[in-house]
Amino acid sequence: MRDRLKESMASASGCKREQNLRIGVYVCHCGGNISDVVDVQKVADAASRLDGVVVARHHSAMCSQAGQDLVINDIREENLDRVVIAACTPGLHEHTFRAAVVRAGQNPYLYEHVNIREQVSWCSKSDPQGATRKAIQLVAAGVAKSRLLQPLSPFTREVSRHVTVIGGGVSGLRAARDLSRGGFAVTLLEKSAVLGGHVLQWDRVYPTGKKGTDLIHELIDEVIADQNIVVHMNAELSDVSGCAGDFHLVGRYAPSDGNGQPGSHPFTLHSGAIVLATGFELYEPGKGEFGYGDHPEVITLPQLEHMLAEQGDAGSCLLHNGQSVRSVCLIHCVGSRQIEGIHQPGPDGKIHDYCSRTCCTSTLQAAAALRRRFPDVHVYELYRDIRTYGRDHESYYDAAAERGVIFLRYTPEHLPVVSPAEEAGGYPLRVTVRDTLTFGEEVNLPAGLVVLATGMLPGHPEIVIDRLKLSRSADGFLQEVHPKLRPVELAVRGVFVAGTCQAPMDVSESSASGSAAASKVAALLGKGTIELDPFRAKVDADRCQGEGKCVEACRHQRAVTLVHTGENGGHGMRAEVNVMLCNGCGMCVPACPHQAIQIDGWHLDQFDAIVDALVAEHV
Amino acid sequence: MDTKEIEVDTLIIGGGIAGLQAAIDLADQGFEVLIVEKQPSIGGKMIGLSKVFPTLDCCSCICTPRMAEAEHHPNIRIMTYTEVEDVTRDNGRFVGRVVEKPRYVDQEKCTGCRLCEYACEMELPHEFEGNLGTRKAICVPFSNAVPQVAVLDIDNCLLCGRCEKVCPTGAIDFLQEPRHVRVDAGAIIVATGYEMLPAGFKKEYGGGRLRNVLTALQMERLLAPHGPYGRVLRPSDGKEPDSIAFVQCAGSRDRSAGVPYCSRVCCMYAVKQAMLLSGTLPLADLTIYYMDIRAFGKGFEQFYQNAKAMGVEFVKAKVAQITEDEQNNPVVRIEVMEEDGRVEERTHDMLVLSLGLVPAWNPAEAGLAAPAADGFVCCTEPSLAPCRTPEEGVFVAGAAAGPKDIPDSVVEAGAAAMEVATYLRGRSSSRLSGRESGGKTNDQMVLADVEG
Repeated sequence: MRDRLKESMASASGCKREQNLRIGVYVCHCGGNISDVVDVQKVADAASRLDGVVVARHHSAMCSQAGQDLVINDIREENLDRVVIAACTPGLHEHTFRAAVVRAGQNPYLYEHVNIREQVSWCSKSDPQGATRKAIQLVAAGVAKSRLLQPLSPFTREVSRHVTVIGGGVSGLRAARDLSRGGFAVTLLEKSAVLGGHVLQWDRVYPTGKKGTDLIHELIDEVIADQNIVVHMNAELSDVSGCAGDFHLVGRYAPSDGNGQPGSHPFTLHSGAIVLATGFELYEPGKGEFGYGDHPEVITLPQLEHMLAEQGDAGSCLLHNGQSVRSVCLIHCVGSRQIEGIHQPGPDGKIHDYCSRTCCTSTLQAAAALRRRFPDVHVYELYRDIRTYGRDHESYYDAAAERGVIFLRYTPEHLPVVSPAEEAGGYPLRVTVRDTLTFGEEVNLPAGLVVLATGMLPGHPEIVIDRLKLSRSADGFLQEVHPKLRPVELAVRGVFVAGTCQAPMDVSESSASGSAAASKVAALLGKGTIELDPFRAKVDADRCQGEGKCVEACRHQRAVTLVHTGENGGHGMRAEVNVMLCNGCGMCVPACPHQAIQIDGWHLDQFDAIVDALVAEHV
Repeated sequence: MDTKEIEVDTLIIGGGIAGLQAAIDLADQGFEVLIVEKQPSIGGKMIGLSKVFPTLDCCSCICTPRMAEAEHHPNIRIMTYTEVEDVTRDNGRFVGRVVEKPRYVDQEKCTGCRLCEYACEMELPHEFEGNLGTRKAICVPFSNAVPQVAVLDIDNCLLCGRCEKVCPTGAIDFLQEPRHVRVDAGAIIVATGYEMLPAGFKKEYGGGRLRNVLTALQMERLLAPHGPYGRVLRPSDGKEPDSIAFVQCAGSRDRSAGVPYCSRVCCMYAVKQAMLLSGTLPLADLTIYYMDIRAFGKGFEQFYQNAKAMGVEFVKAKVAQITEDEQNNPVVRIEVMEEDGRVEERTHDMLVLSLGLVPAWNPAEAGLAAPAADGFVCCTEPSLAPCRTPEEGVFVAGAAAGPKDIPDSVVEAGAAAMEVATYLRGRSSSRLSGRESGGKTNDQMVLADVEG
């Protein structure tokens, strides 16, 4: 087996048509995802009639161990030279099948993946016959391309063992500390003059009830004392470039000890990876939203937290602006769970249709604390759903109910209305709510204070998003690679996401997310080198005339350059590719008038073969 | 009794998605890991699910690659059908005594060809299918099980010897004994996940005797591509249901069931199942009886609103009682809270209980720290270090530390892996740094194999 492999590696120069290839084709049912629409038997039958195909099978789940074993056995028993698998998107399983091919002793790049799920069965549900025909064409194209595949080897490159963490809130601090202990040099960039982020503002943090400042200072102290972590305060990024293992970040910072003017100190960082922990922004209610801005007695939950912290344990009556408060209404879901047509879009023109996740428990905690500290104050919670989902969160709901907090449930169609009280009685405001728990009765609540449980908005790491071409989810938060299984990775390799810039989450979840991101960084950079796909531009020296069209077309600085060949009396030029900088985008390929530059693994004659197969009849 | 010894950096108890992810994250950092899984296959609860919320990804499609990755990772070893008997401390490390239960099939010889399964004549309820389908007394646990090795259920075996006769590799071994293994590990991650309350947990809900009242996991199997019926049918008579309802908080947030906490995932899986059902049975009426809809995660609220827009009916009510009529139609008794508070009985063709989640394993049984009052593994620093437990060197990930959905379990698994890495480095930097540089990542292994 190994000998055969070496032979095939040895003969791997140039892209030539090999004779007497033995090709195996596998059609996946994807547990019905494909086979409910596509006639997989027909596809396999059609594939078996293609030139060079010696095995054509279908299987319920090619990605399962049994499916992979099928391929491995065939490579060994049938001496397959090429493997073509028609299944889901290559984004999901190309790596899985390449690894299987390797286990059989074959070069992983002699494998071709055909997508007949996203590109066929899922988008052609209503036309099974057409879908089957299309699947056959695509499989034929895959087989045609596979005949021209060459064995390739990935590149290995050295990486920087320095990591930049952007954001000094709980998740950034946690990531920085974990990375430092994992043996990495870390620079932590914080845009403000203090570390700690939003947690600093909170009086009590669930589920422990610790003061926010006490909690976060444990972590801040560790980070400050850490020799491997450099902290840049008042930091502002001006440019980010590079790729995994080799990012360059440029910006300015100002030490917070008062010695520096804003932005007085420039910095340049060379990092192997970037952890984005840029956090969230608090929703600011619009003027007039539940009376906010119209009545000084309407405040937000963070403002209440601040008030409670300021007041301390002193005094037996709740004071707001020097006035004694006898009744508090807390309104949930302000700036969250908004519904088009009911809620007004914000200044960005968007409605915030997501749940901010943390406000229910925070509000209940505040409500219970109000009742505990000021037993004479009436506390009302106006909610849509109480979402105390986390461990020990339900006990805050229980505690609030036991302490006599009164719950009223509203629907988004009938939002509570805050208006000035009509008659004097010591309550400046009146909150009118249609309570579905009492059969839709309209209830007027006298209120001395109205507290809006405001949600989270996505933060603004714009420069990083822009320069690294990151994407946001529909909700505006950063888009992870896979929301279920790869929640801390971003589509750009080497850039990770921690905490609330990915989605609303609480302190505990942000800590876990920071650590998880650190873990991914450690896995990526731990060896000192990383591997890159071999799909890079390659120059055909015989065809290249040194015109430099490819250099103009190249989008990655210095990836293609012109070098002197010493021919023609020293005036000859030729293009040369730096494979470490090239990312295989292919922009150079059509620019060359002589077809002298091509992408390994995606040669033009392979495309020709694909197109020929797509227009041929295979049924 | 032969006792083998395995030395690893980390022992991970539980091979569900949290355990697998923690193992991969540690192994990718160069640490050697042993996963001990009590079931005959890794994959945990996730591999039995149909599709996942809110992406509606097919669960097999996204879970099997993780299983395969763990299986083939050069730094990961897996022992299935294995339980942890006890864990002791020895000189700053842990010694775990684990026992591999006899499969009565030689793992080395079995190729997973299933000829034994086809030959066996003993049909039994299939636990993986929620007992809705059948399995043989000897079988590969399920189609995408890892490893693909048959297990013989000796308690239900007639000892007829048919399997032994057809096995092409002579793998059947009726005399196999439990295998005891001593695991020497630097750290431990508990990732033992959850179990669902049994359907019969409450006599008011029929005590598990009503045939068309399913557990949520049974409904997952009915909706799965290779489910027991291949479609959604009523277990009592095989009819297609026209009206399906979900009973939320069946056990959760219910002190009488001993589960005062929220089980965190039930709202979303009920919404998801309702959505999937509206796809397979477009004419069926779908109702969800709920207390609060807790759609708190990324994309969850939008998913819930979509379900509402698709016509799933959400009724705020705590179901008081479930009975059935003569046609085995389940009947729920509710107070119609949002209208006039009248008490009403509503009949459906089929009912799904969104049952509460309870811990699957008590670590105290193996000599580890006792769990918290809710029965899940105790976390000492929930805000800043949610994976830490009262015991140094023992960490927790996933639903073992309280009910959790897949993304939250995966994040926590990553965090636990980082905690372990930091802990191990802090203890013996010299021992690890030497091996770390020599350790291989999966990618490097791929290349080494090719070039070698």
